[in-house]
Formats: sequence, structure tokens, C-alpha cells
Amino acid sequence: MDMNEIKEIFFQECEEQLAELESGLLKLNDGDRDPETVNAVFRAVHSIKGGAGAFGLEDLVAFAHVFETTLDCVRSNRLEPSQDVLKVMLKSADVLADLTNAARDGGFVDESRSRALVKELEALANGETPAPSVDAPKVVAKAPEPVQAAPPTDDSGFQPVPFSFDSFGDEEAEGEGEQVFDITFRPRRELFSKGNEAALLLRDLSRIGEMSINCDIDGLPALDAMDPEDSYFGWSISLKTKKAEEDVRSVFEFAEWDCELTVKAAEAAAPAADLPMVPVPFDLSALDEVSGPAASADVSAAQTESDASKMAAAAARVEKKETAAAAAAAAQTATTAAAAAGQTIRVDLDRVDRLINLVGELVINQAMLSQSVIENDNNGTSSINMGLEELQQLTREIQDSVMAIRAQPVKPVFQRMSRIVREVADMVGKSIRLVTEGENTEVDKTVIDKIAEPLTHMIRNAVDHGIETPEKREAAGKDPEGTIKLTAKHRSGRILIELVDDGAGINRERVKQKAIDNELIAPDANLSDEEIDNLIFAPGFSTADTISDISGRGVGMDVVKRSIQALGGRISISSRPGHGSTFTMSLPLTLAVLDGMVVTVAGQTLVVPLTAIVETLQPEATAIHSFGANQRLISIRDSFCPLVDVGRILNFRSVQANPVEGVALLVESEGGGQRALMVDAIQGQRQVVIKSLEANYTHVPGIAAATILGDGRVALILDVDAVVSASRGQSLKPEMSLAATG
Amino acid sequence: MATKKAASGSLKLSPVLDLTEASALHGTLMSMRGRNVTIDASEVERVGVQCVQVLIAGARAWQADKKSYVVDKSSDAFAKTMQLIGIDTDLLVAKEISK
Repeated sequence: MDMNEIKEIFFQECEEQLAELESGLLKLNDGDRDPETVNAVFRAVHSIKGGAGAFGLEDLVAFAHVFETTLDCVRSNRLEPSQDVLKVMLKSADVLADLTNAARDGGFVDESRSRALVKELEALANGETPAPSVDAPKVVAKAPEPVQAAPPTDDSGFQPVPFSFDSFGDEEAEGEGEQVFDITFRPRRELFSKGNEAALLLRDLSRIGEMSINCDIDGLPALDAMDPEDSYFGWSISLKTKKAEEDVRSVFEFAEWDCELTVKAAEAAAPAADLPMVPVPFDLSALDEVSGPAASADVSAAQTESDASKMAAAAARVEKKETAAAAAAAAQTATTAAAAAGQTIRVDLDRVDRLINLVGELVINQAMLSQSVIENDNNGTSSINMGLEELQQLTREIQDSVMAIRAQPVKPVFQRMSRIVREVADMVGKSIRLVTEGENTEVDKTVIDKIAEPLTHMIRNAVDHGIETPEKREAAGKDPEGTIKLTAKHRSGRILIELVDDGAGINRERVKQKAIDNELIAPDANLSDEEIDNLIFAPGFSTADTISDISGRGVGMDVVKRSIQALGGRISISSRPGHGSTFTMSLPLTLAVLDGMVVTVAGQTLVVPLTAIVETLQPEATAIHSFGANQRLISIRDSFCPLVDVGRILNFRSVQANPVEGVALLVESEGGGQRALMVDAIQGQRQVVIKSLEANYTHVPGIAAATILGDGRVALILDVDAVVSASRGQSLKPEMSLAATG
Repeated sequence: MATKKAASGSLKLSPVLDLTEASALHGTLMSMRGRNVTIDASEVERVGVQCVQVLIAGARAWQADKKSYVVDKSSDAFAKTMQLIGIDTDLLVAKEISK
């Protein structure tokens, strides 16, 4: 494993830590005051800093350090995590993510933004309440640390950001004041197994002050009962130093999660404990070679203090053991919180995809085998036939299991949205809260990857156009803070994502007028409310009066709709004026297989996605009504539904088929309304493996993809929505004229 | 193996007594039970807490066995580490008690 691979793993770990960080901050924002949440947030930043240090990513370390210091104030109850504080923290999490991305991919980080946040964070750490103005006057005064003359400290280059210890001003006011800390330190087994050494930590500690120590060996079992790799000792330490508590703690920084540690400023009058303390000699030079062979490359680093030596040591361990430096840092998080998280392995996505492809081939092969056995087995009872049924069952199970490997919770996408809400809301001066639900709903990774963009667009739209300004909201008797709710849930084999805002809803008058102006509809068109709402998905439709940075750049909801459709999904909107809008997206759980109805149209075999079909019926002559040139309706239970000849619309035949000789599939399109699709016959229902036409051939209008049937022939999968849109004709400009192009 | 056992019941500690040495040291000591032992720590450059735990447990076991257990030579690094981690070298000694 070379360094680049290790670094790549570090960045992968960073992504997880950043997600952890954001979800923790959001929990705090929602009023969660569980110390474990604060710890998790702190650990996330701490781990990123640790790993970044090992790779010398100084910008990242510097920012993470300041962020971590402020979080430490929250952790130690010196700073109340109010909404204002959390706002700064959430922004800092965003910047930390940017810095991480920049460190990985290069690219641009808004330095002024990170500088401003550093100031805000420092101000918070110094006990200043966050003010709208970012300038924090008394921040930059670097503590005059006179200690620096003694051992070589703080020159490690890891703290390029001037940091103030103003909050500890009192101690300094006592004049060059030394103070005494009572420290108890009891390492756990993991501390050693991760390559830390208690003796080295104690050595580092002894270097920052005058130390007396008592070792508690009472826990040591008998020789034959002991586990030589377990940890039995504990220490009480009295440390007289000019350093602040944070510096003392930072000695243990990479071991903190693997030991019991308390650091308390001793009260002057009361000596720490009644333990016989042995002074530790200051000259420990004999131990300096101690790091010896294990970290020979980093011996110089070992002479600097805490941060540097620990980070270098972490890096040295990495080289030695070929494990990720990040893993070392993150492992600290992992072991405390993670026993519960279960065991996972990282697998390259390509490998999973290859497996999925192979299983797809297996399904097709199994279908072909079944078919040829059926053809050659007249009575259908042979043992081969029965064995094949079991094989079919197994194949299906294998397929489901493989699909489950690719399934991922939508959480990361949802988390990204909360950042977008924050940023866009800030830009347009609105106050908006994003509530998410069902983040753990799982869906295929491809779907997740492709859904982020349309969702981002919709969220921006909701913030920019959906939610009103605080003034307007107050005038309308609403909470000045708007709410956007993003939910995900499974419903009948699909994932349903809903985006609900409590804004003003769609201004139907304006939408209709705009549609008329843009010649999308005839001026006298009579449209239902639902149809008007759905006009916003029409190509080139934008109601924004001013073109803002956020949305309304001409690429509108039609792009969103097309992306969703490309995923085999549907999107619809419902809106209540004054109360807000609800966008509902229904997406397939996977893009690899599909349950379909296999039908025959003009001698061709087509597959219609089962999810689109409401019912199938055999039309009777009396139910068919013709009008106009070649329009037909079918009456179904007292209502009329347009009848669409699939063979005609796909140009499989030049004249309309006789409906009575075929079968009608009643389908529902996302634009509302139903259509009856005429096909010649139904062959049956089947799960088919989706093969992209675009990748293997070229896009065919009206066709979503293709599949290979049991007999080896290619069958086309119908794009129901495209066919319905093409048949819709007059009321909307067709998005695609199949009859003309197909 | 880094720890060397001599027939006379003396044990020369290896220069690096880290985590990986703790089990080996433990095994060596277990195999020397019942005999007087003299420990030579003169070449120790680095000693971790876990090996110290084993050495102290050893002293207690020898004490219980009423056999002698002595660290007769120690390097500067060994002595300083003991001081650093607050271990009195008396804890590393067991006296033979003749029956």
C-alpha cells in the first residue's frame, strides 16, 4: 500500500467524519444535549486534524485546530451551544469540508470565509457571544508563553493560526503564573494495541513542567493470571506548569479515547491526594533514543511536543503496519462508538458493479435455460424442471443480496442539502430550517449519486422561490422561520422522496400567464389546478422575475424532471396557495433490474415497467369511442380515458390497431391523469435485467432501456411517461414528438 | 526471541521491551519459575509499561515462591523509565527465603 492509497483512505474516512460532524451539530441544533453527541462532534474534528497532521495538510490542521478548541469549550461546558453558536459551527463544518476537498482534489477555498470563521470561532472560545459583526477585536493577541524558552515547544508548525488563551487570562494575570494540575491517567488495553505507549505519554507530560508521579499497581494480577498485553497500571500525577489545561490535555490527544483521563487544576490550599508522589527527574535525555527503531524516520519530530510527535508517530505506524494513518486517527472514534456499528469492509465500487453485471448475466442465462427446458419437456414434471425452479429461486435471492450491497442510506445526500439550505437562505436573507426524515432509507448507490443534483436544484428553488421573506411570513401570520421538510420512505418497491415547504405555494395565475406568454399553452386553455402546477416542469419555464444567482437561470424544473425521468422516476407537485408546495419524487430502488410486464406490439416484444401499470383490461367494442381524426377514448367505470396505440406511436405500424383485438394497460403518468396503452397481447410478468440502450446503441425516443429475454432476443423497455407525453398532444407542447422522430 | 535465558537462571533483557516483547518476556519468566533468577537490564534502550507490568508480576511470583529475583544491572534508560513512570525498583526484587 503506497502513501497515496493511505491518503485516499484518509479522505474516505474524512467524509465519514464530516458526515458524523454535521449530523452531530444538527442534533445539537435541535436541542440534543447528550454529552456523547458533543463528544462525537469533537472526535470527528479531532480525527480529521490528526490524520491531516500526519499528511502535513497544514491548512486543514490549522482550521481544525481552532474549530476543535471551540468545540472543546462546548465539551467542557464553558460554552453553551446556542443556536448562534451552532450557526458558526455549522458554517465551520462546511469550511472544513471545503478544506478537505481542496486538500484532496486541489481547488479553491474561500480564504476570506475561513479566516472570518476562524475569528468567529476564536471569539467563541474566548467567551464572546457571537455577534452579527464578524470582527473580533481582541482575538489575535498571542499568548506570551514564556515557557517556550525551556524545551522546544510549539514550533511544530501545526498551529500557524494565532490563538488566544484569553479565557485563561486569569492564570496569566497571576504573572508568568505556574499552576498545578492534578492528573489521573489510566490507559486501557486499546491504547497499547494501537501503538501508543503510556511511558512515552508520561515522558511528554514531564517535559512541560515539573512532575511528581504515583503509579497504582494494585490492579496487577498474579504472573500466571495476567495477560501480558493488557493494561493494569494507573497513575496519579501532579504537574506544575506554565501551560494551560489544553496543552496538558493535548499530550494525550491521540490516546484520549483509550484511557481514563482527568485533568484538574489543583486548588492551591489542598494538595492533590494523599499519595506518595515521586518527583520525576527533568533530565530524561536517556529516553530520547527511546523512540528508536520504530520511528527512526521521525525521531526529530519526537523531540518536539505532543501534536507533532504524536502525528509523526501516527505516520510512522502507518508506514510500519501498512494501515491508514486516518484509520489510526479514526480508529479512536471507531472503538469507542463503533462496537455498535458492526463490522464493515470497504469494497471498490467497480468490483460490486462487476458482480452485479455477472449476476445479471446469470439471471438471463437462467431464464434462457428454463425456457429451453420447458420447450423440450412436454409434461413439465421432470426433475430438471424442478431443479430449475430452485435455481430460479436461488438466482433471485443472489440478485437481491447483491443489490443490497449497493444499497446505501440517503443520509449523505440529505446532509448535503442542509448545507445548501443554510447557504442559500443566508444569501437571500431568509431564515429556514431543514427537517429531514427517513435518512436511513436505503436505495441503490447509482440512484443516490444521480439524485443529488435534481434535489439540490429543487431545494434551491424552494428556498429562493418557495419560502417567503421573514417579513412576508410574519405579515401572513406565519412563523418567520420557514420550514423545508425532506423525507424519504419506501413504498411498493420504490423510494419516495418528498420535499415539502411551508411557503407561499404556487401562484397559479402567474404560472398560467407565464405559460401563455411563453406559448406553452393556448390563451383559452382550460386547465385543472394540478395541470397548472405541473406547468412548472415544462421546458424553459421560469417564473422568477429576476434572474438570481441561486435559481432562475433558465434551467428550470424541466431539467429536474428530465433527470428524475432518466432515473426511471416520476415527479409531481401539489400546492396549496398560502400553505406551501409538496414535490413528490418516486424513484426505483435500483437501476439494475425491473419488474415488468412483457407484451407484444406489432410483432415486437416490449417490457412495460410494472410500477406504471394500474390495471389491465380487455376493451369491449362498446367501450371505445372515436372522435376527431384518429383520437379514441375508452370508457372505464363511468370515466373516459384516452386510448393510445403503442404500436402506432412508436411507428411500429402505420394504421391504428383494432382495440378490441388487443389489451389495454391502464397506466398513470406523473403529470396526473391516466392513459390506456393499447398492446396486442400480454406474455407475462418477469423481472428483467436492465441494459442501457444509450451505452450499447443510442437513445431511442419512447424507449427507456432494453433487456435480454430468456430466448436470447433483445426486448425494449417502454418509457411510459414519454409515450404518454407524446400522446398528450395539444394542451402541452410535447416534450418529444415520437410520431415524428420515432 | 529477544530475551535470552542462561542455564544459571539469569535473564538478559533485550534492548527493546515493547508491546510485542511483553508476551515473550512473560513466557520466559513462566518457564523459569521455581529457580532463582538474576535479571540483566544493562542493554535495555526502551521499555514499555507492559513489560514493566510483567517484570513486577514476576517479582511478586518469585516472592510467593520464596525464590530470589534481582535486577542486578540496569541501563540508564531502564532506570529513568522506572523513575518516569513512578515505579520503585524495589518492586522488582524478591528475596530468597530459605526453607
